Amino acid sequence: MNKDELLEKLEHSVVMGHLDADDEGYDGSMEGTPGTLELLEQALEAGIEPQKLIESFRVAMEKVGNLFASEEYNLADMLASAECVGEAMEIIESKLQVGNSSNKGKFLIATVEGDLHDIGKNIVATMLKGAGYQVKDLGINVPAQAIMQEIREFKPDFVGLSALLTSTMIEMEHVVRLIKEDSFPDLKLFIGGAPTSQAFADKIGADHYCRDVMDAMNKLEQVSNVS
Amino acid sequence: MIVTEKQQLKMLSSAEMQLLHEGSCSLLSRVGVKVTHAGIAALLLASGAQCKGDRIMLPQDMVKNALAQSARIIQFEAPDPAYSFTVNGPENQVKFGTGGQALYVVQRTSNGWVRKSAGTDDLKQIIVLCNQLKQVDFITRPVECDLPDEQKDVAKAAVFRRYCSKPINLANLVKLARLAEVLEIIGNRAHLSFIISLVSSPLVMDSSAGDKFVAIVQKDIPVAISSCPQGGSTAPFSEVGELLQLNAELLFGFVLANVVRPGAKVLYRGIPITANLYSDASPRWCQPDSIRRVALAAQLCRFYNLPCCGTAGVSDQAVPSAQGISEKVLSWVYEAACGGQYINSALGMLEQVMSVSYYQYVIDDIALGIVKEKFSKAQSLAISQLALSAALEVLGCFGIEPDEKMEAELSARIRHIENGLEPYNETYIEDQLAVIEKAVNKSSSTVFMKAARKGLREGYLYKGARLDASLDLAAVAERLESSEGLGT
Ligand code: B12
Repeated sequence: MNKDELLEKLEHSVVMGHLDADDEGYDGSMEGTPGTLELLEQALEAGIEPQKLIESFRVAMEKVGNLFASEEYNLADMLASAECVGEAMEIIESKLQVGNSSNKGKFLIATVEGDLHDIGKNIVATMLKGAGYQVKDLGINVPAQAIMQEIREFKPDFVGLSALLTSTMIEMEHVVRLIKEDSFPDLKLFIGGAPTSQAFADKIGADHYCRDVMDAMNKLEQVSNVS
Repeated sequence: MIVTEKQQLKMLSSAEMQLLHEGSCSLLSRVGVKVTHAGIAALLLASGAQCKGDRIMLPQDMVKNALAQSARIIQFEAPDPAYSFTVNGPENQVKFGTGGQALYVVQRTSNGWVRKSAGTDDLKQIIVLCNQLKQVDFITRPVECDLPDEQKDVAKAAVFRRYCSKPINLANLVKLARLAEVLEIIGNRAHLSFIISLVSSPLVMDSSAGDKFVAIVQKDIPVAISSCPQGGSTAPFSEVGELLQLNAELLFGFVLANVVRPGAKVLYRGIPITANLYSDASPRWCQPDSIRRVALAAQLCRFYNLPCCGTAGVSDQAVPSAQGISEKVLSWVYEAACGGQYINSALGMLEQVMSVSYYQYVIDDIALGIVKEKFSKAQSLAISQLALSAALEVLGCFGIEPDEKMEAELSARIRHIENGLEPYNETYIEDQLAVIEKAVNKSSSTVFMKAARKGLREGYLYKGARLDASLDLAAVAERLESSEGLGT
């Protein structure tokens, strides 16, 4: 297989959400055939440059986004593709030590203290990884101090907070206040979760409220394009 | 309401339920539950559990003992003794109540339905209304007080004490430290019960819920052990897999309860719904796939002869509608026919537990009355026929003349509820256990989502048309206006 064919196959495997040979892929028929991770290994061995790989992921995810928008793909299909990219990026970064190879930026995400809801947060984290952001997910029930420490160490460009309870929205406010007090002038704050709203984001001084994952992706793209 | 022996619907055979039981036990002994609460871990270890890291594994004997010891009969007394009742594991008596912790109240205005934040005054008004509604047998906290967390429990107890004449279910305890005051305010603790969501899916005990659970069990107050996994995000997308996991999570609660207090008064509350993986993973509470799964959980509970706290009638619709009413009717019918006994959230709820509405309480009271009458009068009807005729009659009650299309849609929904799409055999169960184990180890809900692609293609999530027709709510408005003590 020449390099172009390999890249084409790689792109196709991402569109099909085919992670590796153990994975059944989009149409349930792909188990046993090489998936994104195996093809990536071949591509790296063949000496294909990371930027080319990343570009083919971008093209693949654009196709997936369109398929989702036209309802040909469902959420599970889209997440499977995003996960292929997320895992592939981790390998590229660790093997080639290229750091944040996508230069889209770093996103720190957490569900605030007292809150155990993470379904929505996980979807957002997976999709952002798939879109090429370097994502660090601190999990659920994360104390404000742990978020602050991670902001200092991971140095994210964006922080995303999730809260699903009216009681933990207050904690969200607390975290936002600590971040503001510590003054990270370039840090953009995103919030989400059922009880939150644009009005609440305005009240606590968060930059963006996101209704759902697509809203989050769009707002993030807008912010990234501006900066 | 009584469901006769003949009306009892067995969508699973005893052999299939036995397989599920064994699968859940194997999950508990092999994968276990993550417990980071040192005290509770120690308590379970001292009673025969084993541990691997922070996971507590329960040998099958512990489950067996807990099932043998757990209370079969639970008394729910009421401030007005006329409303007291008993839930008895092996019996088919069904009671319906409210539920929720809704964030919003949906109100009717001249500009249509509007949503406003719910608060203490709504709690009071809803209790006053539900005291008067004939089909409300008990009152579970529908909305919380709009106060700081420290004050919520005490304020809520005070409102219930002052206004509620039916058995009181406070649902959750916000602050354990307030329990003693809550008991003092309620006065007679026989009037009181709780719900605790002890284990977060998949298989992680919530430490703070654990503390509250232990305290309530120690005080011998009835408590429903609740688990609400969502197939496709926090549990396998497969109904078999979701039931295996749900059952393991609830059995863990039964073990803990009976270690703390042998003969504990705990109820089995399984709400295995599905996640809407077509779009945004939001929960589907009242679609045929979820109605079926929740009904199967009730059947599984009754397989053990345990007291069954059911859930039914949580519409997915944002405002009162024909679609919402028909969802509710199907959900009540199947939950009752499959074994639900103390059915929560049955009235007033909209928008996937996010909202309640005064109008919806009255609509549901009328509709539930018709469903109950069907169960008592139409005893020779198959449940599928009973469900269809109840839904048609209820729609008629609100000025809708159902046409053929509506009837066909309702029938399609009923077929989806009654007809499973998956095999119940050992190999399939093993496959599902492997999916759960993988998700537990990876601790991300996306494992279940990705594994859902095949099931989505095979139609696990019902896709149908909405029932669109406008409701005549004149009678409902009149009843609301004539209700005593309502300031709306
Ligand atoms: C699933 C669920 C649970 C599961 C959580 C499982 C899990 N792993 O997450 C379990 C059963 C464990 C649970 C527990 C509880 N829950 Co709960 N739960 C829900 C439920 C039904 C669905 C939430 C969900 O996952 N939605 C689907 C996801 C995909 O949507 P989403 O979270 O909104 O996320 C999207 C957007 O909001 C946005 N987004 C979200 N976060 C972020 C973050 C960023 C940075 C961005 C950009 C975007 C973004 O993008 C996401 C993807 O599109 C809601 C009701 C509802 N209909 O929302 C109640 C609900 C949130 N829970 C509620 C309650 C009360 C509880 C409990 C207290 C119950 C109890 N009595 O013990 C406990 C609390 C535990 C705790 N301390 O957190 C209430 C809250 C009410 C209130 N007044 O606050 C709700 C509203 C239900 C209700 N009315 O009773 N719950």
